[in-house]
Amino acid sequence: MTKPSRRPDAVPPEGAAAVRAREALSRKWSYLLSSVVVVALSRDELDAELGAQLDALCAALHSEPFDPAPFEEVGERLVALGYVNEPGLKRTVDVLGKGLLTLEEFRSSDRHTVRVVGGIGALTCGFTAARARAILDQQESMQRSLLKAAHDAQRDQRQSEAKFEGIASSSTNGILIVGLDGRLAWGNESIGVIIGRAPEPGTRLAELIAPNSIVVFREMMERVLSERGEFEREPMQLVCGDGDFAKVTLTASLLRDDDGKPSHVLVMADDDTELALLQGELRRQSLHDVLTGLPNRQFFTTHLETVLRRADPEFGVTIFHLDLDAFGLVCNSLGARVGEHLLQHVARRLRALMSHEKAMVARFDGDEFGIVVENTSLTPDVATTMATINADLGEPTYVDGHGLAVSVSAGVVHRPSPGVDPVELLRTADLALRQAKRDRRGQWELFHTNEDAAGRRDAALAVVMPGAWEQGDIGVVYRPVRELATGDLAGVEALLHWDLSDRCAALADQSGLILPMGEWLIRIATGQAQWWRQRGELDQQFGVRLTHHQSTDADLVSRVSKVLEETGMPAARLTLTMPVGVLGVADAADNLGTLADMGVRIALDDFGLGPRDLAWLSALPVVSVLVPKDLVHRQDPRSAALIPAVHDLGVNICVDGIETAEQEKWWQEAGADLAIGAHYGSPRDAGEFLRKFSQGRAATR
Amino acid sequence: MAETQNWVPLGIDTNVPSMARVYDYILGGAHNFAADRQVGSQIEKLVPGLPSVARLNRRFLGRAVNFLMDQGIRQFLDIGSGIPTVANVHEVAQERDPAARVVYVDKDPVAVAHSQLMLSDNKNAAIVQADMRDPETVLSSPEVTRLLRLDEPVGLLMLLMMHWVPDEDGPDKLVAHYRDALPAGSFMVMTHVAKDQIDDTVDQAAAVVNRSRSADQMHMRDHSQVSALFDGFSLVEPGLVGCGEWRPDGPGDVADEASMNMFLYAGVGRKD
Repeated sequence: MTKPSRRPDAVPPEGAAAVRAREALSRKWSYLLSSVVVVALSRDELDAELGAQLDALCAALHSEPFDPAPFEEVGERLVALGYVNEPGLKRTVDVLGKGLLTLEEFRSSDRHTVRVVGGIGALTCGFTAARARAILDQQESMQRSLLKAAHDAQRDQRQSEAKFEGIASSSTNGILIVGLDGRLAWGNESIGVIIGRAPEPGTRLAELIAPNSIVVFREMMERVLSERGEFEREPMQLVCGDGDFAKVTLTASLLRDDDGKPSHVLVMADDDTELALLQGELRRQSLHDVLTGLPNRQFFTTHLETVLRRADPEFGVTIFHLDLDAFGLVCNSLGARVGEHLLQHVARRLRALMSHEKAMVARFDGDEFGIVVENTSLTPDVATTMATINADLGEPTYVDGHGLAVSVSAGVVHRPSPGVDPVELLRTADLALRQAKRDRRGQWELFHTNEDAAGRRDAALAVVMPGAWEQGDIGVVYRPVRELATGDLAGVEALLHWDLSDRCAALADQSGLILPMGEWLIRIATGQAQWWRQRGELDQQFGVRLTHHQSTDADLVSRVSKVLEETGMPAARLTLTMPVGVLGVADAADNLGTLADMGVRIALDDFGLGPRDLAWLSALPVVSVLVPKDLVHRQDPRSAALIPAVHDLGVNICVDGIETAEQEKWWQEAGADLAIGAHYGSPRDAGEFLRKFSQGRAATR
Repeated sequence: MAETQNWVPLGIDTNVPSMARVYDYILGGAHNFAADRQVGSQIEKLVPGLPSVARLNRRFLGRAVNFLMDQGIRQFLDIGSGIPTVANVHEVAQERDPAARVVYVDKDPVAVAHSQLMLSDNKNAAIVQADMRDPETVLSSPEVTRLLRLDEPVGLLMLLMMHWVPDEDGPDKLVAHYRDALPAGSFMVMTHVAKDQIDDTVDQAAAVVNRSRSADQMHMRDHSQVSALFDGFSLVEPGLVGCGEWRPDGPGDVADEASMNMFLYAGVGRKD
């Protein structure tokens, strides 16, 4: 088939060692490939061919900017070499995937790793597309051969209709002999199967043709009769007995009598089933993601175009671009295989969740999914759909013994104009997603790049946390907030507790689990507060700290009001603390304002005692600020100097992380109002906390 | 072809598997129909190494044609050529000498039609539609008359062919008929399923073929029986051996799994 070629853009590498390394790799490639493929090349020719291909790939990896097109071309060229099927692709991917990165010229930079991965992907795409074309070409050539064989057999036996009937009746293709007047002379059994009735001899062939195909049919017959080509071939529809139409490809070819004059037309009706099935399978392979079986981005984009056009204008369509919040954590700590299982799980769940809608769920790249819903009057609104998805995925699924739960962030485009370009639409959804991620996932990048042992441990913990939570290993503990001036109890703070980590909330924030878990924390804490209050044991202000992710959660207000309603806790008895750094996000400031309007007391965490921090206090309804531990321990007089300014705004100051009497005294003198920290005892579960509190109260009496 | 005088070429019925197309499927091609793929995949399930066997046979064909070219042979008669796909005889031979002439023979009308379409631009290659068991028709066909000079040495190729000929059809006489038509110095190249080298699964595979609607029935032969077919020829080194053992030239010529190298006997003999 294809002969070896030196590619013009294949730049030879610098230095003899690099040349030798490439040669070794291309020979290994050739060696591995040769035992699974059938090619027309000799061993030396194949070595040379693959050497040239490898040079082209290396040149592409070095090029700036990186262009994966040469990889795609190599994939296509592999197919052109002969019968190089999936085993050939697999060996190629194996040998190049590992081999390219071991070449000295690419070892120096991580950039090349990314390029090799992208390049191998492009090679696979090129291969798959070319292989699909090759298969269809081969199948098409077989159809032509079949026609030719039937035609030749008929010609050889042209005087014997009975014998011709023998051959034609054994074919699955419908075969018709039509007179030059367009009337049927003879038809085989298969044509009767295709159109549901045996056509009567003498019927005009045109009567079997569906109205929408009649023009094409007439033109085709004219071409046949004018002897322009060997045969003519057109897809069209036939009228079936029951009023339906059958999709077929008609192939027509002129038959001649002994004198070489046209006598009849041979028409073959190929019901295309086999070709259609094959095409369907190829389409499925090239349009679906192998791991999850979902449609891929390409398929999704094409589908989007159709959907936009046909959608009910009253309800339109909605596009969700989803991204798993914790996928990096899963892969980094538990390995890629668990990650793959998680993706398969998410794919199954998304498909199940959308099964009531006219929707397509697709996997884009990595941990990103796409959904397009053709809305009806019954389709739930976007918020409900997202809540359903997150509630479902928030249920831990057990993968290799790890209870994994995930949340997803989404960029949503609701009811776009039908005329919008699908690619542009996906870009918009992607932008919305990035926006959502940036607002809610401030710490994310840090976590990703954290490669030290502690970071990996955190990652592993974050991932097993949902299972631990479900099994009751994560609990709620309480600690006192003290009046600095008097030492009296000023309130109670509720926190998450897990034996395995003292950074439980921070980890849950990174994995996205904090949304359900944080709501649970508020529910337990307020329920406990109500219980104590109703029993007359303790009536205090209860505080819960919100994480970054929680503070910007669009559902925060509804979560909190639901909990207050369920527990009966007066809003004013609850203090919610937001990190000050999150206030720049519009959602967080909105949440804060609405919660304050509901009567919830708002405090700010990580309050730096700087001028910018002060500015928030005049703008927002905040009652209290928490000075973080590091500032508290530094005991900087400049911090203390700002305390009166905070007081002037009617806000009191709580110092976090007081560990010693000395620290307590310093801040008391500086004018701070409240304090939290180990100095006042470690956090305890509800029973112990109450016991300790009662003892303290008894002691002071 | 069956003994009845039914002239209907079975290959036109795409519901009936054709061994030529089954072979193409196993080799990795798409020149086949659903019935062929069904039989092919059934056999593959029983003998998972079969794609290697098909591939080794193809590789052997290439080595044998090159060997014959080295011996000065410039005309080839390939009997049972099947679907002409990648690395066929004319491709290998004409790559070295465009004047090399090749006549293919097959009885499958679809394979023949396909070959005609493929070879339409090649004036030094053609195909005859005939049953190999009718040597007179083959040897007197217009294509053979036009392209081959039977007074000069010919390369006679019978790959994966003779095990379709039952003993009652006299395979030895059949080969002798072709041999006698060729001058001394001609060569015969043959591969044949090796009865004494393979296990029961192959019997089952053969049973799949024999049960299918295909007109072809498989008859395996052992080393001495295949050797006997080379009567009147001197086997060149290394004699009648496993297909993967006949002068392997590179990694693609042998299978990863040793038993697959022995699945077929392969031999090249020179007419004395």
